[in-house]
Amino acid sequence: MTDQAINTGAGRPAVSPQAVVDAARPTGVRQIDYRPDAFNPAPSRRFYFLMMTPSIVLLAGISIYPFIWLIYMSLHTVGEAGQPDVWNDFKNFTRFATDGKFQNGWLLLIKYSAMCMVLEVGLGVLLAVILNRSKLEKFLVTIILMPMMMAPIIAGLVWLFLYNGAFGWYHWLLQSIGILGPTSVLGDSDIAMFGLVAVDVWQWTPLITLITLAGLKRVPQDQLEANMVDGAGPLRNFISVALPNIYPFLLIAVLLRFMDNFRFIDAILILTGGGPADATNMLPVYLFDVSFQYFKLGRGAAVALTLLLVTIVLGMVLVKLFEDPRRKIKVHGREEG
Amino acid sequence: MFYKPKNALYKTISRRKFLELGGSAAVALGAGSIAVGLNSVITRRPVYAASSDDAKWKQYSGSKLVFMSENTPPSFAIKEKLKVFYDLTGIEVEILTDQLPTVQQKVGIDLRSGKSDFHLNYVQDKPIGSPFADYYADYTPYLTDDTLPQDPEGYGKDVWFENFLDACGHYYSSERLVALPYDAAVACTFYRQDLFEKYSKDFEKDHGYRMEFTADTTWKNLTEFTAFFKKLKESGTDVPYGYAQHHGSFAWTTQLDIQRMMFANGRWQDFSVDDKIGSKTPGPTNWGDKQSVLIMQKYKEHADVCHPDNLANGTIELNSVYQAGKVASQVQYHEFAASIEDEKTSAAAGGKTAYAPCPKGEASWIVNGGQAVNGTNCGIGGIGINGNASDDLKRAAYIFAIWSVSKDNQLEVLKGLGGTPTRKSVLAVPEVAAARKRPTTMPNALTFDAVYDLGIKDPHFVLGPKIPNTNEYHQIMATEAQKLVAGKQSAEECCNSIKAQLDDMHDV
Repeated sequence: MTDQAINTGAGRPAVSPQAVVDAARPTGVRQIDYRPDAFNPAPSRRFYFLMMTPSIVLLAGISIYPFIWLIYMSLHTVGEAGQPDVWNDFKNFTRFATDGKFQNGWLLLIKYSAMCMVLEVGLGVLLAVILNRSKLEKFLVTIILMPMMMAPIIAGLVWLFLYNGAFGWYHWLLQSIGILGPTSVLGDSDIAMFGLVAVDVWQWTPLITLITLAGLKRVPQDQLEANMVDGAGPLRNFISVALPNIYPFLLIAVLLRFMDNFRFIDAILILTGGGPADATNMLPVYLFDVSFQYFKLGRGAAVALTLLLVTIVLGMVLVKLFEDPRRKIKVHGREEG
Repeated sequence: MFYKPKNALYKTISRRKFLELGGSAAVALGAGSIAVGLNSVITRRPVYAASSDDAKWKQYSGSKLVFMSENTPPSFAIKEKLKVFYDLTGIEVEILTDQLPTVQQKVGIDLRSGKSDFHLNYVQDKPIGSPFADYYADYTPYLTDDTLPQDPEGYGKDVWFENFLDACGHYYSSERLVALPYDAAVACTFYRQDLFEKYSKDFEKDHGYRMEFTADTTWKNLTEFTAFFKKLKESGTDVPYGYAQHHGSFAWTTQLDIQRMMFANGRWQDFSVDDKIGSKTPGPTNWGDKQSVLIMQKYKEHADVCHPDNLANGTIELNSVYQAGKVASQVQYHEFAASIEDEKTSAAAGGKTAYAPCPKGEASWIVNGGQAVNGTNCGIGGIGINGNASDDLKRAAYIFAIWSVSKDNQLEVLKGLGGTPTRKSVLAVPEVAAARKRPTTMPNALTFDAVYDLGIKDPHFVLGPKIPNTNEYHQIMATEAQKLVAGKQSAEECCNSIKAQLDDMHDV
């Protein structure tokens, strides 16, 4: 503000406010600079760096060091209890070409993630639209959020009982309505995967609902009303107005769920352990087996590294999609990415 | 609205002071917890060969040990008796129990990283003993150390049941002894005698022989029993399915399920190595030969007439299915007899269940020229001492180990929680001998005829394979067998796939 000129009127030159203050000050009086940055000078870059150092060291310790160590392990046959690690000419990686469980693990993981994502986003958005501005919105949201509050391992145990072929309630229900044959959900290699997807959908659809609900609150009412005046029905209104407005929120939700699914293991270990017949042996389960059942840490590190890299790349693709200028949309009259 | 005391804490201590005090307390507590949690305690009083027994037991008084064990009856029973051990030795022992796969992971990380957070481990023969054998202390020098207390019965092969010491104690060499037999789970047949008797005449009309379990009942007979029950059920009779296999989530017990049938028919084994000692370089596997393909075909034929939820039932789930009255027979581990005989939880209790040896091989199924036997396998749980621990900690751990496997302890566990003794002398106790017949106060004793008198003895007993990659081997076996049972591959494809993976695993 101090450097901005004030227009004092037509034909007269512009003067700065500081000049006005200087002109009014009696001569001989010590000049005090009252600007805020005079009392609080901008710290140097070195100061910022020093302030950030503890965080950088902590981050390096808990994140960067293990990452470098992971790369190192993936290139070696890791020795145990003081034995030296042995360089193995990328064997941990080259064996992927013939490792059926690794390849099958990827296929199953992609299949599982895709099914979970489609169902969770679809149901989550539907629930959010139904709940939005309903009379019991707060109460119903609280109820719907309950599964999300449960530890995944507990959710796995609960569903293990529900699916049990001897006394499980869902087993009985599904058999009674003719969907299920004599085999239980988790005992049939053709449907066990759907059993796991159901658990994930049950537990994490509320997250999508919650995020979408937050997005729906930002949909401008005037746009909706204008659209309705133009003759749009509820579906057209949702597609043309609501969906573009909640698009950034949905992308965040998809990104969160996608990253979660790629590292998800808790309930799978409880429910199927990767079986039957490898039908649910997704890559994170295989990684767990290799590292902590077979104790082949180098091989496990190579699997983990590929999983990490693919997660990062796919995450970047999603973020890029989020930033794509062609996908920029107008919210409240402003452009938002 | 609320009562506010005049001298409330927040009035007498400034916020800054409060934060300082809180922070200091948190740091002190954290440091203290880490110090206590990460350190075992060891104190030693010198003893000599001529010292009294009491002095030898008490030489590590004031020490603290941690024992990581599976959640089996002996561990629960010994947990209850720790006061007795403390009074005898002054050593404090913390027993941590968990499911076997979790124990395997925790113990594996501890041993392989060169640590000794768990000074004593539950050494289940194949899942824990085979991969980690080299990390355990050798008992041999302690057994003859006259500055340590010793069990009056000793520790030779003859004091334990046949094969038990080899099963859990020796790996890849008979020179080192890495565990003492602590508990046992030996397979035998559990069957609903009431149902078998009821339908035996109908069965006999079709098949020309009685439907009963004896030591001569073969796997072929069992498949026919199972098919008979399935036919009855499908015709609308209210009967359970005849049998169910061990699949489900724990690969080791699936491997054991297949191994019983394979060994019974010609004493077939996975590798041509000494079964009881095992080998770090077992060489090419025998999977894929004619005998293995034939028996896997028979395994699949049996699976087709079993309980339809075969693939969902791990060992524990299968026992629940039997308890619920949904199957008429199962090959199960004898430690489960106590749960079957519990009238509060089991529909098969009250004298309905009888126990027999594992089924025998069928002569017409043997193409390798081998013998037909009652193929019986087991999980012998030993107690081992972490080799990474200090010498004094190892000695203190030894004192606990020999106490935990003593005759008196095993007898009390058997009487109390349904234990499974490993010392022969326990069976010689008149009270135990009487408990082998109904009515009994020790339900597990009902299985002793089938298990201790026949199953664990040669030529019926099969132990291995003891190989360092045993857990990967179990997973390969379980997965391929499940694919066979699910109809995803033929018996030949299954055997060839197992062969390819095992040979690749061993760089053959």
